[in-house]
Amino acid sequence: MAREKIYLEEVFPSPFMQLWGIFRKTPVAMVGFTSFIFLILLAIFAPLIAPYSPVDGNLDMILLPPAWHPDGDVSYLLGTDDLGRDMLSRLMYGTSLTFGLSFIVVIFSLVIGVIIGSLSALTKGVKSSFLNHFLDVILSIPSLLLAIIIVAILGPGISNTVWAIAIVFIPQFIHITRYAVKEEFRKDYVLASRLDGASNFRILYYSVFPNIVERLMSQATLAQSAAILDIATLGFLGLGAQIPLPEWGAILANGLERFYIAPWTVYLPGLAILFAVVATNLVGEGIRHALKLRKEN
Amino acid sequence: MLTFTLRRLTLFIFTMLVLTLLSFSLSFLFPGDTVINHSGQINATASELQLLNDAYQMDENIFSQYKAYLSHVLSGDFGQSMASQSPINHELKALLPATMELSLVALLIAMLTGIPLGFIAAIKHNKTSDNAILSLAMLGYSIPVFWLGLLAILLFSITLGWLPSAGQISLLFEIEFVTGIQFIDILLSDSPYKWQAFSNASAHIILPACVIALAPATIFIRLSRAAMIEVLAASYIRAARAKGLSFNQIIFRHAIRNALIKIIRHVGLQFANLVTIAMVTEVIFSWPGIGRWLIESIYQRDYTAIQSGLLVLSCFIFIVHILTDFIYAALNPLARGNKYGS
Repeated sequence: MAREKIYLEEVFPSPFMQLWGIFRKTPVAMVGFTSFIFLILLAIFAPLIAPYSPVDGNLDMILLPPAWHPDGDVSYLLGTDDLGRDMLSRLMYGTSLTFGLSFIVVIFSLVIGVIIGSLSALTKGVKSSFLNHFLDVILSIPSLLLAIIIVAILGPGISNTVWAIAIVFIPQFIHITRYAVKEEFRKDYVLASRLDGASNFRILYYSVFPNIVERLMSQATLAQSAAILDIATLGFLGLGAQIPLPEWGAILANGLERFYIAPWTVYLPGLAILFAVVATNLVGEGIRHALKLRKEN
Repeated sequence: MLTFTLRRLTLFIFTMLVLTLLSFSLSFLFPGDTVINHSGQINATASELQLLNDAYQMDENIFSQYKAYLSHVLSGDFGQSMASQSPINHELKALLPATMELSLVALLIAMLTGIPLGFIAAIKHNKTSDNAILSLAMLGYSIPVFWLGLLAILLFSITLGWLPSAGQISLLFEIEFVTGIQFIDILLSDSPYKWQAFSNASAHIILPACVIALAPATIFIRLSRAAMIEVLAASYIRAARAKGLSFNQIIFRHAIRNALIKIIRHVGLQFANLVTIAMVTEVIFSWPGIGRWLIESIYQRDYTAIQSGLLVLSCFIFIVHILTDFIYAALNPLARGNKYGS
């Protein structure tokens, strides 16, 4: 009997797909990832699915408790605040402010930071050493303190907060990109493509970036959880989003005066912030865990 | 140790120069007239303004302006607050000790809870208690501090009524101002109600200090867990085990000492984070410290106060940073100066 000769083609998944394979098998990380996607979708589609306006109040329905309370009304699922505004709608719109803005801010800082970081990784000497020391000083200042300083210069307001936080997060991306690019440039595969005559930018784009993208993502999740907390804290202090805007920290500060009569106006935005930060951190932990496992294999 | 001290000293002087330069340039960045931002005299008449211009050498070039500003700061003159028109250095003298007291107590709580928990997690590496501690730690640094503060007030002050919710001490106690640090002032005073005052002040500090301590404590958990895992994998631990030392002996005589050194290095960096959290917490707990004062100055657009408050606060953070560096170097000979043969 003739024997079929079967040669199995060996498939090597790309580093990124290997990472995703490990990431997918961690249930906790997947819970975080699903919540993260849910928040992004909510941030985009909040105006379409929110049942009421976040700003206009219904004065007949002031300080209505959530629906599960005996005095609650099911048409206002999470109750209303002191001006009769629906809490659920405000929290939904708040997703696009607190979570959505922090996401955009981190992407913006990431792009700027990666550009400056990779350029600086290619330079040597005094310029590079100056940058290194300068970054060390900046990185040792907590992000919230730096954001407060910048808001103090620019004046309160949500747009100034966003700028301040974007500026604050650039240095850490510069630092990590610089470090990662320098480390990759010492490896043999970069030398191989250099011997093929590739220019620095070609090496960066085709060889180095695909190998450092996970590290940048892990740093981005760290930055985003800090950005959510910073936007909310500035909103709470009255330095960020101003009064009618449904930013989570600002909603919380707004509910503060009636904390004892209407505790849900303080519980719910706090829970929303906690949920968003935990989801982001779970994704980050998942990536770091997967990175560690991939290195060990 | 001498070279180490000299190097730290130059770093200190250099950073102080950068910080004063930053606060000097803030006067130009803030809206309004630069000399008024420097001095805070918003109601100055034309002749007073002329005097101020001379004092800050505003007609000279930027270097002499900076020099004039620096000499004002070094002689302790931060100008006056635009909002209250009282000298800022007097206000700072009353506020800074309160913040120091709160943040140092919080740091102590964070270290005393975070480090042992981290060690336990490392010893039980990859077991249930390790995972439980890690999950708690993640929850801890995800909670927004202002929300945690409010929940703590609601639970411990309103519902249970155990602890006071605001302020530094009950107004009934009259404590003479000596150092500004409440506990020392109470001990120095000769009031017959000294011990009642002491327990009252401790009851006031517990809640805000614990709220501030939570996030840094979770970071200490992670740091000490990583340090302990690294130490336990080292070969001198294996050698100790081979010698027949018991588990407790290994942990208490060898592992903890070496792991602690690695953690102390990060205390300075964590302290900056802690002070920022303390600023927010001071607002919630009406603590009469520099953080609350600074945030109120931002509301009132009191630029002179913002500028000097930031300068003093960052100096305080930096001095603590340098101090922890010294402690680290004193404990760990490897960190002092040049590594021979490397």
